[in-house]
Amino acid sequence: MTEGTDLVTLDPDATPAVPGGGALVPAGDHLPVVEGPHHPGPRQYVLIAVVLVILTGVEVATSYLDGHVNSNLLIVALAIMAFVKFFLVAAWYMHMKQDSNLFRRMFVGGITLACIVYGIVFLFFSSTTLKS
Amino acid sequence: MTQAVVTAGSDEVEPGAIIEHGHDTNTGISNSKLAIWLFLSSEALFFGAFISTYFLYRGRDAQFLKGPTPDKLLNIPFTSVTSFVLLMSSLTMVLALAAIQRGDHTRLRIWLLATCLFGATFVGGQVYEFTEFYRKGLHLGTNMFGTTFFVLTGLHGAHVTIGIIWLLLLWGRSMQGRLPTEKSEAIEIAGLYWHFVDVVWIFIFTAIYLIPTH
Repeated sequence: MTEGTDLVTLDPDATPAVPGGGALVPAGDHLPVVEGPHHPGPRQYVLIAVVLVILTGVEVATSYLDGHVNSNLLIVALAIMAFVKFFLVAAWYMHMKQDSNLFRRMFVGGITLACIVYGIVFLFFSSTTLKS
Repeated sequence: MTQAVVTAGSDEVEPGAIIEHGHDTNTGISNSKLAIWLFLSSEALFFGAFISTYFLYRGRDAQFLKGPTPDKLLNIPFTSVTSFVLLMSSLTMVLALAAIQRGDHTRLRIWLLATCLFGATFVGGQVYEFTEFYRKGLHLGTNMFGTTFFVLTGLHGAHVTIGIIWLLLLWGRSMQGRLPTEKSEAIEIAGLYWHFVDVVWIFIFTAIYLIPTH
């Protein structure tokens, strides 16, 4: 089985059930839910955990460089490491690499929407003095 | 009826489909998994609001650092350890899923309990931290740091607590023999929630503890 695939029974007269989703069924019909793709094994999971722990260690060590290096550089480095950790957990532990693309689109869509919405909030308040 | 393999995300079709099991859905993928991913997507917006609020007030509000300041309060070595514990709970969670998928129910229960234990340790650490901050004079209303810190980390802690309860319920079901291998999706869904909570902490830890406040 290839990565990111679902197995379904297909009718020859099928029409797309989910635009871009790839699953095809006649209008009104339902598809059987099938077994998900093969997930990585325990060894790969442990390997990912080791990488995550090392990254966390590097993150914490980097935070102690405050005052010795440019703080903007520090923030960028910490943000990159946080995103790498996020990617590793989402891709491997949450199986986004192996599962249906629809899940990935849904999740990434939510995060993108959050970034856009809060980006606008930041832009809106960037020239405003906040009062508590 | 023609049998074929359909690739989600593409229109690749191969002959010889294999139907493994399951109920029918419109999409050919599990409704429960679709629902949890949709929920997690909305949770990204939920936590995004609180993380954004923290950054919005940070350094831009005179009230943010009035009273006990983050650099005097935050114990990075301690929180690094609790972060490590939460990361390890993600490993044990995914090992629990691997165990039920290969039909090893004994290991499933062990890994589920280990995940709960790691989660409880993390929440315990958070309670200790909150108590320490309170004793040092940082309350919810002391300054904007107190407000944004307690609300953001408190909501995250509440999510971890809900996750622990969820996993304990699954452990109980497994002990009663009501969680057979065919129902491994129940563990997968709880796992997705748990990993998401871990992912949120990755960003909270960086935002509050590691990025300098000055």
